[in-house]
Amino acid sequence: MQATFQALTDALVPESEQHGYGPHIGSADMGVHEYIIYGLNHYISIQQQLDRCIIPLAYPTAIMLDVAAIQLVNAQQAQPSSQSLFPKGRMFSYLSRKDRVRTLSVLENLNLDLYLLPSPYKNNSGLVKHVVDVLNRFSLFGYYSEWPAYGTTRLFPPDYRRLEFFPLCWQQVGYPGVSLGYRDFRGFLLKMRRSEG
Amino acid sequence: MKTDPDVIVIGAGAGGPVVAKELGELGIHVLVLDAGPWYGNEKWPEPNKSRGKAKESSDPSDLDGFLYRKQLTRLENDMNDLVSGKFRWGAADRRRGPWYRNIPDQAILWQSAGIGGSTLHYYSNSPRAFPEAINNEWPINYDELIPYYEKVEATLPVEFAPTTTKEALFYYGAEKVGFPLNRTLDVTSVGYRPQPNAILPPNEHLMNPDYSLEELSHMEGCTLSGHCGQGCPYGPSLEKMAKRSTTVSYVPLAMKTGNVTFRPNTFVTNVLTEFNANGNEQVVGVKIRDTWTGENEELRAKVVVMAAGCIETPRLWLNSKLPHNPWVGRGLTNHYMDMVTGTFEEETLMNILGSTSTNPFVGHTSAARMDYPGLGMIETIGESPGLSAQQLFGFSQYGYNSLRQSDSDMWDQRGRLVGNELEQAMQGYGRTLTLSAITDDEVLYRNGVELDPHIKDEHGAVPFVHYSPSKKSKERREKLIEIATNILQQAGAKKVHRADLPPNYFIHLHSTMRMGFVVDTSCEAYQVDRLYIADNSVDYNALGGPNPTLTTQALATRTAKLLANKYF
Repeated sequence: MQATFQALTDALVPESEQHGYGPHIGSADMGVHEYIIYGLNHYISIQQQLDRCIIPLAYPTAIMLDVAAIQLVNAQQAQPSSQSLFPKGRMFSYLSRKDRVRTLSVLENLNLDLYLLPSPYKNNSGLVKHVVDVLNRFSLFGYYSEWPAYGTTRLFPPDYRRLEFFPLCWQQVGYPGVSLGYRDFRGFLLKMRRSEG
Repeated sequence: MKTDPDVIVIGAGAGGPVVAKELGELGIHVLVLDAGPWYGNEKWPEPNKSRGKAKESSDPSDLDGFLYRKQLTRLENDMNDLVSGKFRWGAADRRRGPWYRNIPDQAILWQSAGIGGSTLHYYSNSPRAFPEAINNEWPINYDELIPYYEKVEATLPVEFAPTTTKEALFYYGAEKVGFPLNRTLDVTSVGYRPQPNAILPPNEHLMNPDYSLEELSHMEGCTLSGHCGQGCPYGPSLEKMAKRSTTVSYVPLAMKTGNVTFRPNTFVTNVLTEFNANGNEQVVGVKIRDTWTGENEELRAKVVVMAAGCIETPRLWLNSKLPHNPWVGRGLTNHYMDMVTGTFEEETLMNILGSTSTNPFVGHTSAARMDYPGLGMIETIGESPGLSAQQLFGFSQYGYNSLRQSDSDMWDQRGRLVGNELEQAMQGYGRTLTLSAITDDEVLYRNGVELDPHIKDEHGAVPFVHYSPSKKSKERREKLIEIATNILQQAGAKKVHRADLPPNYFIHLHSTMRMGFVVDTSCEAYQVDRLYIADNSVDYNALGGPNPTLTTQALATRTAKLLANKYF
């Protein structure tokens, strides 16, 4: 499952070897695949008989991506490499970046046999579209927000995370982070009439 | 012995605290219930970690600006993450998932539980509705709303946004296209203007280097920090915070009347009714569930005001099995939005602005607008990097830019960006101007909120939400996005990207419990006596395009007055 999500973020977010987050972060995507797994596993909670329970979506989502990748390969729309680009990966992680994006596109456009997808996605087009979109949004928000900079605490419950360094993506895009204010006041174009007295 | 309140208000978002403050000033006892946490109240020093010692708070001395500042960290993931952020639609306990809404499509539904509701994260944009969208459409006239608009504008207060670099660029582009400056609050013609925002004007010393930014952040006035969406905890005290979420404006004012109590962490699961002597169904109270302990309780009052928002108000009606009305939950509008982002070269910016960057994260997050009666509006947006990337480059009905051949020469890129093209786009972040096209979309019966027949959470059947725009709404959005693109191009943008957002993008929601269909002109339900509604759901339509909050607050002021006259 980890490999599938690594393959996902690898296809969506920029190549990031140059980030040099050091060994404690490890993976090339700054651990963003773990952000997606956490998000998917906390996304839907419902009542079942007497219990409120979470529907963990990460595992079936990974299977959905692999099943979709197999369908693409079988239809000769994608060419797998001879081995997984990520350890222990399944079919999705055998595909090139472009074919991985194409797999997402095929899923989102429902251009495949929905019967072959795992529960809860089987013949559930609305949920497929919704979650495939989520995968894109989570990847980008995980990557460009401060989440990677929670470092070793990033998978702690939200209130126990601590920023361990300045988010490198923020540095890259020139965002100064938390600010007390900016001296960029250029005047008022209009004032409320009542304040003019 | 504890006595029942006169009025129970469900929801402490944009509308609920307004009703509470107005009624409290008339000596009416009000209890306001909200499903989420309370930030900035001493009774809940760690509102996300434990349920606290108290259940409710009514003493203004409980309010604490330092606590508010500590809790609102201004970090976009910590604050705005839709799954685990402090401002999310979910319980105070962030270890738990958010409360589920079934939207079977690409979708973002951006609401926040908590005292302040979605005003916790809103950009404070407070324009009035377009008069032409009210007159001859709504069952009431625009003129009737004006005194209430004025009262809310003075109370929050609302001021025209200051100009920073990004607004200067927008005004430059709008002028080059030939649009006039619209010097009005009552918009009847096309033009641009600063946003009327519920944000205190910048402190007069902001540009004075003798005052440090740390000092200024503890003084009155906006510091242009750009953290509107993260709550903005800057000011000398809680009730003087620069961004006027209701939690720092109407909530403290309501508490000061001595007649209003707020209770967070309380989800209303049922509205209770009985038949009165006239044979009419009338409200008698509510059933609640404590979100920390799961305890249920019944509370009684003479009047109940639903202010739970466009999704939860109809959901609560339906889950309470209140009388059948075919328009309950129906007619949902969401301003069918889109966004275009222009990236500029340093030299262009230097020539126009005397600066090599726009720094979109500086100043009010949304500070300038173009009103276009008949189509909707265009406004500037300058969010932090994660939120920008997610909305601009990760959320689209178009698909992936790299997989499609563009069929238009208007935009250099369209839809989702991935890998290197995403990296390049974000490298230009500091030199971007983003415009949002916000459509006056049509009310359609097919759009709305129903109960999901298969899925329940601890509060009952979950909402099933669906929206697809009409042909006319699609045409209007195309026109608006072309105008917005033209403004960017005229301003000198080197590259323009169009997000092509999906229809189920819910930031402005309205009209799911429409006036004239579900509620009468005083916002009392036709079918249940003593039951009122005070949120965007009573809107007859999408207001012509302007942001909905001020109109909801004006209506709430009016509803409180009419309610008090009738029942107290």
